[in-house]
Amino acid sequence: MEKRYYPHWNETVWFEKLPNGLPIYVVPRPGFTKKLCYFVTDYGAIHTAYTLNGESLRAPDGVAHFLEHKMFDLPNRDVTAEFAALGARTNAFTSYDLTAYYFSCTENFDKNLRLLLEFVSTPYFTPESVEKEQGIIGQEIGMSTDNPDSQSFELLVKAMYRNHPIQTPILGSRDSIAQITDKTLYDCHKAFYRPDNMLLCVVGDVDPAEVAKAATQILPAPDGAVITRQESWEEEMTPVTPTVTAHMEVAMPMFQLGFKCQAPEKGAEAIRKEAIGDLAAEALFGESSALYQRLYEEGIIDGSFGGGFETVDGMAMLLASGDSEDPEAVKDAILAQAAVLLQEGIPQQDFLRMKRSALGRRVRDLDSFDSLCFRICAYHFSGYDYFRFPEIYKTITAQDLLDFIREVVRPERACLCVIYPKDSEVTDK
Amino acid sequence: MIHTTEIFPGITLYHFPDSRFKQSCLSLQMVRLITKEEAAMNALLPAVLLRGCESAPDIRSITLKLDDLYGASIGAQVRRIGDYQLTGMYGSFIGDRYAMESEGLLTPVVEFMRSLLLEPLTENGGFRKDFVDGEKKNLIAAIQSQMNNKRAYASAQLLKDLCANDPFGLPRLGYEEDVAAIDPVTLYSHYRKILKESRIDLFYVGEQDPQVVADAIKTIFAGVDRDYVNLPAQTPFQGGKEGKRVETMEVAQGKLCMGFTTPINMKHPRYHAMRVFNTLFGGGMTCKLFQNIREKQSLCYDIGSGYYATKGLMTVSAGIDCDKDELVQELILGQLQDCCDGNITEEEMTSAKEALISSLQGVHDSPSAIEGYYLTGLLSGSPETPDDYIAGIRAVTKEDVMEAAKAVQLRCVYFLKGVQ
Repeated sequence: MEKRYYPHWNETVWFEKLPNGLPIYVVPRPGFTKKLCYFVTDYGAIHTAYTLNGESLRAPDGVAHFLEHKMFDLPNRDVTAEFAALGARTNAFTSYDLTAYYFSCTENFDKNLRLLLEFVSTPYFTPESVEKEQGIIGQEIGMSTDNPDSQSFELLVKAMYRNHPIQTPILGSRDSIAQITDKTLYDCHKAFYRPDNMLLCVVGDVDPAEVAKAATQILPAPDGAVITRQESWEEEMTPVTPTVTAHMEVAMPMFQLGFKCQAPEKGAEAIRKEAIGDLAAEALFGESSALYQRLYEEGIIDGSFGGGFETVDGMAMLLASGDSEDPEAVKDAILAQAAVLLQEGIPQQDFLRMKRSALGRRVRDLDSFDSLCFRICAYHFSGYDYFRFPEIYKTITAQDLLDFIREVVRPERACLCVIYPKDSEVTDK
Repeated sequence: MIHTTEIFPGITLYHFPDSRFKQSCLSLQMVRLITKEEAAMNALLPAVLLRGCESAPDIRSITLKLDDLYGASIGAQVRRIGDYQLTGMYGSFIGDRYAMESEGLLTPVVEFMRSLLLEPLTENGGFRKDFVDGEKKNLIAAIQSQMNNKRAYASAQLLKDLCANDPFGLPRLGYEEDVAAIDPVTLYSHYRKILKESRIDLFYVGEQDPQVVADAIKTIFAGVDRDYVNLPAQTPFQGGKEGKRVETMEVAQGKLCMGFTTPINMKHPRYHAMRVFNTLFGGGMTCKLFQNIREKQSLCYDIGSGYYATKGLMTVSAGIDCDKDELVQELILGQLQDCCDGNITEEEMTSAKEALISSLQGVHDSPSAIEGYYLTGLLSGSPETPDDYIAGIRAVTKEDVMEAAKAVQLRCVYFLKGVQ
């Protein structure tokens, strides 16, 4: 394996792309007992339209998450119990653009790794098990319906996007998952759970060569199948509607405010744009900003307020969210502050302090196994090496932030979603 | 492994040397007996202190100061451990070798904590009124938004019934009406009093020498007028309500919560067996409740049990369809009976033990986990190292688990029911 050293972080990383197409990252953690392993596919809720060997397919909404649940089935075996017997904790999650399977353990690393590779690469679905899962996921959809955070995000993106599939919930709906069959799952597995569409990442005190060996032995060789999928969608930069509201069992109104951005391309530019977006959010309404202090002292926002640059394959937005008695006032204040910043500029001293703070927080973040694994995977699928992040940072100037704010923080790009308490008088505007 | 230094009477530094992390942590807490009278004030205090001090008079100055310290963080922290309520701050900052310039960060972080603690902004004999009013509003909102998380809300309602006569039933953040009644002068004099009398525990994880950290901490308290009042020990469980309570709300999914008591607490000889039983019965994805009620019968999405060891309480909670509460309750009790009868497989024993052991082995893998584990142990009067704890878990037999299961008794049930 190739050994890479990153002096900024004092980190060593082992990397290799196996002959079967699978990229592997191993980040050694000598002195730690915990080992964390992520096995991730570059496939999430938005990837429903695809072609498999020339055949056009359209899977029902919610299929990536459904498939994630069903992967844990193997004939006459209980994968979760096998991990537990080996002392590992295992779980999985599905986001808009990736699906991750992971385990953490302190002992039996090699056995656990082999079990993870085996079960994620072994499709086994029956009509009966699919039907049973429809009941379980139906319950999960019910739980999500009661969760104001997920509901408000889903309402927001529905009000913002015309074509991008982010407007569909990750879980799908009870109707859409009812259309899923065992064949749907076999097709999606064949198309997207291929070593060359996946990534294996380990953080912990393990032998990198053993990781590569296990992945070479267990995973299949390339089968020559040709897969394409839709990765970009036509989007105007204005939302479908500028405001959307709903009523739920919440104590105080909660809001999410999005500003549509152009979808970044892959590679260093995408990472740079994300960093610029996050720093611009900090300069505009972050905790160190004059605006944050004013709104906090006026009681318009509280500690729940925050935001940053959010991106999913084919879309991006600047997002601010929190609880507030007056979400409209927050939106107006952010737009007004953008004008002030554009007129007055960002003092160099403030800009350097923001960068110093952001880099310091990244250093602390490296202590978290989970956060590190997740970032390595997300950056890899964006076409960039996570540990080279400081190099991107060096090239960003205060002017980049202002250019971003000028382009994005505009009334015509904004969309505000507010969840009001059930018994409140406020009605849709 | 922990160096303990009594800095002044009742003020103790627990120092856990560790050079594996890229960050260090320093926490400081005043330890109080939780009472209805002061719970809300203790919950409010750190938030008010973090609004401003003489060297950083507003939240923006505080953030800028922390940004200068390479994105260090100092957050309010309010915890509950058995009868105790802990109020204080938790700070994290990067190791010196990752700072661009080679100045050390411990000294400026400690100095900043000192300023936040001892130089708060005051007026008319109290804290600044705008700070207190603003943070009261935030704390009340935090208490109210528990309602947003239906599972947490239902669990809190159950604990309220189960612990009607025990201080453990008091919510960690106090009651809304008690927060509303706080005024800046009363809060300030309460603060002066607890700063003077409380047991104060500090916990450091990082690579600095214990003496260096102790010397830095001394500078915080050198000028503080102290008259330490001994902290009473944790008390046994006092009992509460029985029976079932049903509350209706407009939710799609019902939340069933069941409260049990057991004589087995942290100091009981069967403590480790109780831990294994709780995990085998309701912990994680391999437990009896999850496997039988969710996986085999698809009757719920989430289900699990929790064990509060300082008091000897166990709770079960499940997200279910609103007309299934009687059925699911019977099935949960059926699983409990199975444990009492010894219907426990070798795999179930192994999975439960391995899950506990694995999480104990992970204690030393993050500064906050180290701080939380050892501080909880010290304050519950059972300061077992993870290694001793693991040895205790390994020695548990199936018969021990059966005995632990038999000791558990159902006391009360709470059901949050949806109306459509």
